[in-house]
Amino acid sequence: MARFSQFGGEIAAIAILGLSFLVPFVTDSPFVYSTQNLIAVAVTAAFSVYIMLRMDLLTFAVPAFMAIGGYAAAIAGLKGGIVDSFALTALSFIAPALVALPLGILILRLRGIYFVLVTFLLTQILQLLIFETPDLTGGTNGLVGMPATTLFGIELADNRAVLLLAIGVAFAAAVITALVSVWLRREFAAIEENEVLAQSLGLVVWRYKVIGFVAAAGLAGMAGFSLVNMLLTAHPTSFSPQSSVNYIAYTIIGGRGSMLGPLVGATLLVWMSSIFSTHGEFSEGLYGLLIVVVVLAARGGIVGTLAAGYRRLSGQWRAGGSAAPIVGTVKEAAHERG
Amino acid sequence: MASFVSAGLIGISLGAQYALLALGFTLIFGILGVVNFAHGGFYVLGGYAAYSCVTFLGLPYPLAVVAAMLATGALGYVFELFVVERVVDDHLATLMLTLGLYLMIGTGIQAVYGPESPQFGFPVTGTLRFAGFYMPLENLVVLAVCLVAIAGVYALMYRTDLGRGLRALADNRQVAATQGLRPKLLFPLAFALSCGLAGLTGALVTPILSLGPLVGEPVLAMAFLTVILGGFGSIIGATVAAFLVGLIEAYSVVYLGGSKGALALFVLVLVVLIVRPSGLFGKEARGA
Repeated sequence: MARFSQFGGEIAAIAILGLSFLVPFVTDSPFVYSTQNLIAVAVTAAFSVYIMLRMDLLTFAVPAFMAIGGYAAAIAGLKGGIVDSFALTALSFIAPALVALPLGILILRLRGIYFVLVTFLLTQILQLLIFETPDLTGGTNGLVGMPATTLFGIELADNRAVLLLAIGVAFAAAVITALVSVWLRREFAAIEENEVLAQSLGLVVWRYKVIGFVAAAGLAGMAGFSLVNMLLTAHPTSFSPQSSVNYIAYTIIGGRGSMLGPLVGATLLVWMSSIFSTHGEFSEGLYGLLIVVVVLAARGGIVGTLAAGYRRLSGQWRAGGSAAPIVGTVKEAAHERG
Repeated sequence: MASFVSAGLIGISLGAQYALLALGFTLIFGILGVVNFAHGGFYVLGGYAAYSCVTFLGLPYPLAVVAAMLATGALGYVFELFVVERVVDDHLATLMLTLGLYLMIGTGIQAVYGPESPQFGFPVTGTLRFAGFYMPLENLVVLAVCLVAIAGVYALMYRTDLGRGLRALADNRQVAATQGLRPKLLFPLAFALSCGLAGLTGALVTPILSLGPLVGEPVLAMAFLTVILGGFGSIIGATVAAFLVGLIEAYSVVYLGGSKGALALFVLVLVVLIVRPSGLFGKEARGA
């Protein structure tokens, strides 16, 4: 898969999210605020899908882990009186990660199809679990009345502060995603290119898949916290199984070859949905159509296609797709990790 | 005791429905290696097709069911031939394509029929009372048709040349191809068969349960559960597991209430994945 330069996508994504901190200071339009808040949540969740897609795994569990993170933060605020933003963000990362660890060890040793189906089931089941545990989660009523979060003791109560927190969470998610994908770059590439070959050369594939899955679950949890904080309620409808395909669509349509993909995909599609919100029921069909187009005609998604076009224009041709560099990557990864 | 027997009958009736769905799903996976995410979509489409035939064309219900099966089968054939076939060996790509199709089916149905559930009732009503227990007649009719359809699938797969060819492709595509079987001809047929089964189930079951643009999703989840339990690609496994799932669901509704049955089934799936990942009849499941 074509990438800009080695870490171009990671650096660009973090830089863009860093710059987006300025937006709430430039404007105070309610439309911009609400849309950017939704985008921040969507980007955070899309990073979760992105990490799994780096290993050729499609996850439907993003809403499930969002719910775990979001409810964990809400319960900590309501019952534990925890209001510090850093503590809540960390909690929303750790709680779903702890759930993902045993589950990942269990299903990621099996073929990829088990992962896909079990994540799909997990999202369905978590909805039922919320309804079955009204004492803890509020059941169908959800949880309301969380105290406002604080940053260094300052209360984050007004719209701008809530938006800044959402951008901050998305920024932290981008940093974590970049760290994971840079740290495991060769392992991910080896798994994506040829899993059997990687395994035969000594790479313990399932171990890296579990690391990726745990990180992805944590990122989704952060998105859940961000969403709960924005809506001031933790409610099962925020984490519906149907929403899992949205996060998948953002990542695939934006482009799964670079970290810019989920950022661009989530931004464009959420912004479009906000503008055409009166025809919201058609957005899923549009996502479906775009996914089919990407798979059949534009494998790199928006970012990958633009990057390929740019490279063609500027005449920078790079040889790709031959077997030799893949074997090289796999060998390198296997050698280093043992 | 009466409620025990009644719940058992309901469970068998549910199991027969799940078996039809899971058979279609597992056939496509076994033969093409494709996870068909649109399977739930074809189920919904079958329901709406039968509804349209009855309501707008005035066809009798049995004819409408047949028409729904043929229509969904034809759509599946076309989709495989022109879309899935181009990337058939790329698991992730086919998964994304069928997911995209599922989203388009859902939106298409909403655009044509609106988001509300249409009035679509089963033509046979009434209750059979026998020795203290009772059973709705429509469930019995559905059960009978489902059992005939399951028998038909078995006859097709084990008694005809087409079935032998499909099973050969599932066993080993390369060897089958060198023996003269043509995947390009048989793949669309297999896809059509599977989607037709989903459409048939939808046409039969949605008048009893409910019809709406989103009813496919829980059905798809049940098909997934069944296929994991039975073992991927295994025809017998899917059938046995489907009846197991149906019985567990029916009894848990009666004795546990609410959605605890689905939770119990999910836990069962996790246990199966720990103890025996290949499922109950996993011998036929494809290797990595």
